[in-house]
Amino acid sequence: MVINSYPFPGRASAWPWQSLLDALMLLLWAAVLLRFSLTGQLYLLIHPDYAGLVYLALVILLGLGLGRLNQLRRSWRGGQPRPRSQDHNPLLPRQLTTSLLLAVAVFGLIYSPRPFNSQTAFQRGITDVLGQTRSRPQRFSVSTNPADRTIVDWVHTLHVYPEPDAYTNQPVKVTGFVTIMPGWPEHQFMISRFVLTCCAADAYPVGLAVDLPAGTAAPKADSWLQVTGQMTTVILDGKRQVAIGSARLTAIPEPRTPYAY
Amino acid sequence: MVQLNNGITLFFSLLVEAIPFLLLGVLFSSLLLLFVDEQRLLTLIPKNVVLAALMGGLIGFLFPVCECGNIPVARRLLLKGAPTALAIGFLLAAPTVNPIVFWATWIAFRDQPEIVFLRVGFTLVIAVLVALIFSVQTDSRPLLQDHLSRLMPAPVQPGEKPPGSGFQTADLLRSGTFLVQSPGQVVSLDAALVQTWASSSRSLRMRLGLMLDNMVLEVRELGAVLIVGSAIAALVQVIVPREVVLSLGQGPITSILAMMTLAWVVSICSTVDAFFALSFASMFTSGSLLAFLVFGPMVDLKNISLLLTVFKSRTIIYLFALVAQLTFLLTLAMNLYGN
Repeated sequence: MVINSYPFPGRASAWPWQSLLDALMLLLWAAVLLRFSLTGQLYLLIHPDYAGLVYLALVILLGLGLGRLNQLRRSWRGGQPRPRSQDHNPLLPRQLTTSLLLAVAVFGLIYSPRPFNSQTAFQRGITDVLGQTRSRPQRFSVSTNPADRTIVDWVHTLHVYPEPDAYTNQPVKVTGFVTIMPGWPEHQFMISRFVLTCCAADAYPVGLAVDLPAGTAAPKADSWLQVTGQMTTVILDGKRQVAIGSARLTAIPEPRTPYAY
Repeated sequence: MVQLNNGITLFFSLLVEAIPFLLLGVLFSSLLLLFVDEQRLLTLIPKNVVLAALMGGLIGFLFPVCECGNIPVARRLLLKGAPTALAIGFLLAAPTVNPIVFWATWIAFRDQPEIVFLRVGFTLVIAVLVALIFSVQTDSRPLLQDHLSRLMPAPVQPGEKPPGSGFQTADLLRSGTFLVQSPGQVVSLDAALVQTWASSSRSLRMRLGLMLDNMVLEVRELGAVLIVGSAIAALVQVIVPREVVLSLGQGPITSILAMMTLAWVVSICSTVDAFFALSFASMFTSGSLLAFLVFGPMVDLKNISLLLTVFKSRTIIYLFALVAQLTFLLTLAMNLYGN
């Protein structure tokens, strides 16, 4: 990159389109982050711990965009000629990088991210959840009352001590979304959650099997439910597994933060 | 449709998580570019060649520049007469061994802290080893492009006061940016390297203006690469069947080769590549993720054009081959004996 004070006064008045586009791009990206933050969609994308970093990024983008506009204003008023930068050996053509950033920013202003659902859970291997989570859930407290355990707590507890019979008749009350497992009987499904440690990129599913009493209609996939019941042992996929027996289902709205942490 | 939605959500998730780090990296490197008198560094170079290589590797901890910023810096180091060991050590390690990259990697992999520390450790080991191999050639001129070696001073022993240390300039970390203050006086890039100007005469406002220019330029370039990288990561997750990715990602050797190839092609900036790797964390071996994180910042497609401005193509081929082999061996050892 070569930066030099513009040496030709006659041409300095040429409208600096690139600077204008830069400012627009930076401010649009600030707007995208602002929109995600205000609508709460940010929590569909990243772990809430890192929301602060996003606000910081918003401020930096805003500062850069406004700084660029200020430079434009001053050069337009004929003040000190603004140093003009030219790319030396750019990695990609400037038009390409600018349009790519602008296009994705505009898309980000329109598009609403969706939380992951049962299809993703299946894609990301919910079948091997029981007792086999990839990483250690961060928030794990051995709650004395089994009814207070979340799905993550249950999965972790099972990981530590997998014998299904140890939990027989313990009360369960968990919330999550419905994953219909291929090959399972109609009265059984998985109540599941995604666990996030950083961002949606590392979301992995955990779930508990649910065993419905005879005659209960199977819920729709991806619907959000509160499931209450007692732990029991069932045979699933040829293995003895713990499941929520005599389950009662209550439909709940999708939570604002659908992921577990 | 669900797949598409997932892909786009993943894409924005990677972008939103990575953008703060990209901006912080750009902010720091631009600050240092204009406000730090790094000339003193050259007076502190240790005599011992191993220490010089190690110092080159660790300078990044004081000066967080990602891989696009560090090649021009390495070039200036060489031109100022810094020993080859220091310049190569810096070139290879600085994009990884610095606080911002460490923080980003920590956030992405705090569940697997060994990845965070081994990333730094392996990078330093490889950087120092390769630097030592190259430093057998005490005169670095034959390694460099002809037009650069003509500008080079005679080789300086480590510890000796390098030529040009009287300059009161802050141009060492200037990402290939050059300033011509008086109108009409245009100085070519390489001539500017040996030319002096007094940085103290630049006003704060001018410095801030230049810093803004540099930041916007880097945001534009690195941001575009980040977008392409995030799109590739999202596409792989959505389009390639899980079984294929898993079978590739679980083999101790295939997973490393796959991730090294990906690192070379994707060219994502080192401040944010941890998040890219994270999206593969559940499907690929830890060793292969490390290979991506160690190899990517040292060698990738976008680096080549920049490296060619400094080194002869044969030097670059040797450099790449050495780095690739060392990365492969170290991460394979981790895959085989790490767990």
